[in-house]
Amino acid sequence: MSSKRRASARGRGTGLKIYGTLVFIFLYFPMVIVLLFSFSPTRTIVGLSGLTLKWYQELFQDPGLLAAFWHTVMVGLCAVAIATVFGTAGAFFVTRVEFPGKGVFRALVMLPFLLPGIIMGLTLLIFFRNLNVRLSMFTILMGHVSFTTPLVMFQVSSRLLRMGPTYRWAAMDLGANPVQTFWHVTLPMIRTALIGAGLLAFTVSFDEIVISYFLTGTWMTLPVYIYGMMRFGLSPKVYAISTIILILSLVLITFMARYTGRSAETYRARKPDG
Amino acid sequence: MKADNAIDLVNVTKKFDEVTAVSEFTVAIKKGEFFSLLGPSGCGKTTTLRMIAGLEVPTEGQILLEGGDVSSTPAYRRNVNTVFQDYALFPHMTVRKNIYFPLKMKKISLSAAQPRVKRVLRLVNMEGFGNRLPQQLSGGQRQRIALARSLVAEPAALLLDEPLGALDFKLRVAMQKVLKDIQRNIGITFIYVTHDQSEAMTMSDRIAVMKDGLAHQIATPDEIYNNPSTAFVASFIGDMNFVHGTVLDNDGKTCVLDVEGKKVTAKRAVDLNNGAAALVCIRTERVQVNSPRSVENRISAELSRIVYRGTDYEATCRIGRAELRAVVQAVAWDAALRVGDTVELAWNAEDVIVFPREEEKDVIKYSVEAV
Amino acid sequence: MKRRISRPGEFIKGIPIAVWLLALVAIPLLFTFIMSFYSSSGLVIDRTLTLKNYKLFFTDSLYARILFKSIRLALAISVLSIAAAFPLAYMVSFKVRRGRNLLFMLCIIPLWVSYLVRIIAWRTILGNRGVINSALMAMGLIKEPLTFFLYNQFAIAITLTYICIPFVFIPVYTALEKIPRNLLDAANDLGANELRTLFNVILPLGLPGLITGFIFSFIIALGDYIIPLQLGGTQGIMFGNLVWSQFGFAFNWPLGAALGFILFIIAVTILGLTSKFGSTEGGFLGE
Repeated sequence: MSSKRRASARGRGTGLKIYGTLVFIFLYFPMVIVLLFSFSPTRTIVGLSGLTLKWYQELFQDPGLLAAFWHTVMVGLCAVAIATVFGTAGAFFVTRVEFPGKGVFRALVMLPFLLPGIIMGLTLLIFFRNLNVRLSMFTILMGHVSFTTPLVMFQVSSRLLRMGPTYRWAAMDLGANPVQTFWHVTLPMIRTALIGAGLLAFTVSFDEIVISYFLTGTWMTLPVYIYGMMRFGLSPKVYAISTIILILSLVLITFMARYTGRSAETYRARKPDG
Repeated sequence: MKADNAIDLVNVTKKFDEVTAVSEFTVAIKKGEFFSLLGPSGCGKTTTLRMIAGLEVPTEGQILLEGGDVSSTPAYRRNVNTVFQDYALFPHMTVRKNIYFPLKMKKISLSAAQPRVKRVLRLVNMEGFGNRLPQQLSGGQRQRIALARSLVAEPAALLLDEPLGALDFKLRVAMQKVLKDIQRNIGITFIYVTHDQSEAMTMSDRIAVMKDGLAHQIATPDEIYNNPSTAFVASFIGDMNFVHGTVLDNDGKTCVLDVEGKKVTAKRAVDLNNGAAALVCIRTERVQVNSPRSVENRISAELSRIVYRGTDYEATCRIGRAELRAVVQAVAWDAALRVGDTVELAWNAEDVIVFPREEEKDVIKYSVEAV
Repeated sequence: MKRRISRPGEFIKGIPIAVWLLALVAIPLLFTFIMSFYSSSGLVIDRTLTLKNYKLFFTDSLYARILFKSIRLALAISVLSIAAAFPLAYMVSFKVRRGRNLLFMLCIIPLWVSYLVRIIAWRTILGNRGVINSALMAMGLIKEPLTFFLYNQFAIAITLTYICIPFVFIPVYTALEKIPRNLLDAANDLGANELRTLFNVILPLGLPGLITGFIFSFIIALGDYIIPLQLGGTQGIMFGNLVWSQFGFAFNWPLGAALGFILFIIAVTILGLTSKFGSTEGGFLGE
């Protein structure tokens, strides 16, 4: 009886593995397409007539694109900086202070990250127009700050909760005032969370199109610029820049994985063993 | 003189909204004393310790440190240090940096601090571990580093919050000796929180036994064991029999009670009137079985259960509706005894402790229903 | 430690985040809400308060129809995403021993590949000169490119499902990982085969994660406007397009504000459902 059970389990196992593999192929096939097209001199993949770097060269000769790239980097760095300050302050507030309705407060802060970008885009657009603020880098930056701050706050508050209050108590007990406690004990212990959150926020900001498209004037970020390129059909340059973004994202994720992985190890060793 | 005492608690009360965690706790802890706070979880012992450390502020009352009022002084300005239950060693610092931390907060340079750090490492037998990280240490090692870190600044008192709780049995017993030796060698005041009564009894000069925020008794281990002031203390320490009795004749020095129709004599001052309902208590190891020695109280009973425990036997006996347990050393046990036999139980009159029947609800019970 | 309200002095720590919340969330929402009661004629916005926009939404069947269409499509997309992501999560969580972390990362990576790149990829695959058509024509199966792949709801569905699968994978995988393995041993010991264990143990325990994943996918699909714009054509006008166009060609900001606010209410209500029925662990709402 048990061998029959094992056989049927194995059978279902392989069926599942096939299905899983199909889903995997479905997930990665489109990206491979983009990659291939970026090196193909013609529009179609049929008849792969050799590889070319022509499209990549054209990228570097497009001043609008290069400018958009640097704009995106700038917005990313500024947004991450601002989000880190506000998000970390928010994380400390939410983990250290108790008040009724705290759950609602946290939910409100998470809204820009959870809601569809169109809602955040239009609310901010109306907001800026009402204050007569022109659409520019500033408005795009504010848009990016709106969805990166909750990210930072979530990551940092998770780490603070995992850390627990004991280290702070120990520091104060041993003579450190609140400022010294923050600087010598708390901050080093959340450092990896900050870096991880920063990388994550930068990645999200780099790719952001939905809100940015609402808040853009003539000053464009890369996704907005690419989107503009797409409206006139898909020139192969689009594939080239897409591949570059693909590779950049992969690099950023590997960095992030290293940071979140390592930090998990370090602070898992909180429980004293026998 | 208050200044001779290491710590004074004067009517200290701590309320969290409507919950009273500690109620009017008053005690004078002497310099160099090993003082324990003992009780079940939720009794307020840790809250009391945190108030002494400065991590909680008392709702009412005062806390004096070497005569000076520190009730509102924050923790980082009080000259007491704490060893926490999970040690709280800073994971991003080496052992040496951890120990140096309190001296660094006192603005002492690393070079000036080195000899003190070395000395305290030697004290806990952890020399050579200076460059390790806490994650690389075992539980017992972390515990010793936590101890070293709290001692290096030479505080007026050391507070320990169940420091041995996470260690397994043999290690715990070994560490108890280490802690006691260190305390005696340095002569520093220890305030020790635990729920383990044998731990408190072995190590302490005095113990405060607490329940629900109240200190039931503050006395030496000997006093607490032989003259518990409440039924709770009697039940929390050691192994105690509790049976119902009625006061027959109380002349202030001796008290005769009726237990299931038999007479029991207690040779101590009992504050109950004739006819009052009482709780009669005898330590299980003081109950002798079929002993030839002449002793004031002798009652026959029926053996209902025999449990062999290695070093001793626990014999449960019935007298009417009451149950008495006797613990007899294995070497003195009569191997011929069987369940159902009638035996004669005997004990001294000094060993009988009497409480009012109302205190029965405070008694710690070990039964399936209690769980 | 006990949960009680902190001393007033502590609330200073909350000032930065409160300022942020006011400036970037509360006040913009308020302005939007107010604007939804204005009306527009031509390029001028008339500031007299009116319920015109909401009336339009509730009476003109066009808006309700499109919203209904979008909801239906979003539901379909969510179902597809779960159908794809759940077996994947199940496989990685229960069937894979070694290399599980790597496999998990591989399932997550598509999330970090640019949203735009993924749209570009599908336009390429589905288009008239795209991968599918080129391959079919090269194999001689068809003479003319098939047009039903692109510029309709099908294209939107497949692209959005593609986007949503990783979003669904994460909460489902997290929930499955939380199921104690000894429960499976216990079920096995008590006589349940794999299918029965799946239905009686794994699905009920993993349900909060499934609900969270479903809701995330639904919200993403409902609020998207870029994919319908790029791949939907005239057949694939979704509610998101409708809202967006009020700020673009149609230039009726008050109406856009009203429609946007309606979408906001829908989204918030649904997100509220997550915290009630979904898994809040590893989720973003609640503690």
